[in-house]
Amino acid sequence: MTLLEFARGPALQVSVLIMIAGIFWRLAGILLLRRRPQLAAPRISPIGQIGGGLSTIMSRFVPRRTFWPRIAVSVVLSAVFHFGLAIILLAGAPHILLIHQLTGFTWPNLPKGLIVIVSGMTLAALIALLIRRVGHPVLRLLSTTDDYLSWLLVFLPVLTGILLSGEALAEYGTLLALHILSVELMMIWLPFGKLMHSALVFAGRGVMGANFARKGAAT
Amino acid sequence: MDDSENLGEMLARRGFGRRSLLKFAIAMTSSLALPPFIAQVMAANLAKAKRRSVVWLSFQECTGCLETLLRSSSPTIDSLIFDFISLDYQETLMAASGAAAERTLRDAVAANKGEYLLAIDGSIPVKDGGVYSLTGGRSNVSMLAEIAADAKAVLAIGTCAAYGGIPKAHPNPTGAVGVEDLVSGKPIVNIPGCPPVPEVLSGVLVHFISFGRLPDLDELKRPLAYFGTTIHDQCYRRPFYDQGKFAKSFDDEGARQGWCLFELGCKGPTTHNACASLKWNGGTSFPIESGHGCIGCSEPDFWDAGGFYTSLAGGSGTGWRNAGIAAAVGLAGGAAVALSARRKVDTDPDKTP
Amino acid sequence: MTDLNFLADDGLVDALTIEIADLLRRLINEGEQGAVDLLGLPLSPSCVAALEQRLGQGEITAVLDAAGRSEIRETGFPGVWWTRHSDEKGRVVAMLIEVTFVPDILRANIDDMALGCERLTGSTHVARSQPRSAA
Repeated sequence: MTLLEFARGPALQVSVLIMIAGIFWRLAGILLLRRRPQLAAPRISPIGQIGGGLSTIMSRFVPRRTFWPRIAVSVVLSAVFHFGLAIILLAGAPHILLIHQLTGFTWPNLPKGLIVIVSGMTLAALIALLIRRVGHPVLRLLSTTDDYLSWLLVFLPVLTGILLSGEALAEYGTLLALHILSVELMMIWLPFGKLMHSALVFAGRGVMGANFARKGAAT
Repeated sequence: MDDSENLGEMLARRGFGRRSLLKFAIAMTSSLALPPFIAQVMAANLAKAKRRSVVWLSFQECTGCLETLLRSSSPTIDSLIFDFISLDYQETLMAASGAAAERTLRDAVAANKGEYLLAIDGSIPVKDGGVYSLTGGRSNVSMLAEIAADAKAVLAIGTCAAYGGIPKAHPNPTGAVGVEDLVSGKPIVNIPGCPPVPEVLSGVLVHFISFGRLPDLDELKRPLAYFGTTIHDQCYRRPFYDQGKFAKSFDDEGARQGWCLFELGCKGPTTHNACASLKWNGGTSFPIESGHGCIGCSEPDFWDAGGFYTSLAGGSGTGWRNAGIAAAVGLAGGAAVALSARRKVDTDPDKTP
Repeated sequence: MTDLNFLADDGLVDALTIEIADLLRRLINEGEQGAVDLLGLPLSPSCVAALEQRLGQGEITAVLDAAGRSEIRETGFPGVWWTRHSDEKGRVVAMLIEVTFVPDILRANIDDMALGCERLTGSTHVARSQPRSAA
């Protein structure tokens, strides 16, 4: 079996199953956490708890003005990376094709040239984020293996994806195999490290916002 | 035919002068992707060439490879040269059969010991002592071992002979393998394809006769001249791929406009062969030009590489059922661990929730 | 079938023209022949037509009838020849641009000449009236 057949065959199946099982494992753990009973009477704001949850999901996208000078760099870099990756995955033709083959859904894609530009910006943002993490004394102190591993497992798919679309440095078959394998590694790690935030971030914001709304606090 | 006669003399006798031979050499030089000035050297060497014996053994095959290589009825210079190569043994084509055929094979091998080329089509089953493919009661495994021993070189023709092909596809009930899994210590050339492009065999034979050695091979032992690039690299629909114009289904507007077939499962980017440049039936067309994506038939194990209509941007999915089972397993496992942790917290007064 | 005219690549035709000019210069200065194998390049039919138009027609067109038809044409640029070889079935098996004084295939071959000489000598009435000597 060639590397490509392995990547498109058993490796794909195993990694997807591990990711699904892992995500549900962690969700079960989170949902079954004991919650402190809320003894105070609810002071629900006019938008209600659900409204509070939704409001927090959106408001957390915009940083607070007081902190802006200190966090501007990481917010901008992070936004470029996250939106860039979303554009590549949701508007890039090969990824839409992948989803179409797996689920039947399809939608129009953006031109390849545009995706190439966005990919370059995403890669640059990733590298800049790593430099910042390693260069900033506090960040370096706080960084764990999880942080670096998660960075690497996202960096490799973006890098191999760029090489594959440009058909550069190696044969198409090899590049495709490496790209798919790197994505599979990321999928296997995803439920167990900080990459899980991709599945939890909006739910987390929402729960917090709902709690604040119950207490009558700003969301 | 006079064995001492060289190819130049034989052609002259049949009314083909040196210009015909030079023209043939020019065509072959182009086909083999050699520099144009080599044609003169090739023509001179071909003129001096003596008869070369070829023994062709057909094993676990469908005969498609032989069909693709059969000469036409009209006596073209190509066919004369192949007459000259002297196909001394080939079960489908030769008149002799039974004991006479076996004698023909023994005589050809004995008369040309160490000098004949051995061409194989079809895979070789090895399971259960090789009983799944026999000729005259004798297993292919044993025939291959004996006849390859005195051959100058072995040509594995077609994907079955090269890598096992369709008999080797899962679950491979006969234990089929390719030639290189059984033969060692001999130069082997793989000419894969299901079937292979006919010009590739001509090119390899002419190269061997002209220069006394096999052409340069890649890491899968395929002639680089024909298998050095992928279909994708030579495909005339490549501009559509680059522009992102894909046919979404057979016979949709994109398909009618001749757009790229990547989304319909074309394996062109990962398949090495000369189909896109040499084409089939004398340069008439090839699968993509006829509207169907490449199935990757010159690559090993292409039958087991997922569906022909699943694009390279996808693979074999797990299916909703298995995904559901994984979710259930995750949920159950996570819940079990979470609940046991809760119990530990509940029973341990020092731990806070 | 879609119109592939948009595949005519002026850049490619220019690149080939420059290469041919380079080969011609080498022939003039150093006497070294050269050739460009057109079938070995990914040229679309319209690209080939564009190149043919660029090179034009010269003073000589030779037709070769050997194992099929071949056409050897000098282009509008002396020393630059367009050779198109077809087999007996009319299929183009080689297409070259040869940069040379005279393409090799037009020159008579010495072995052919030797055989021809024998035939020529044997074709006279005198030769034919001689009794055949034992071979």
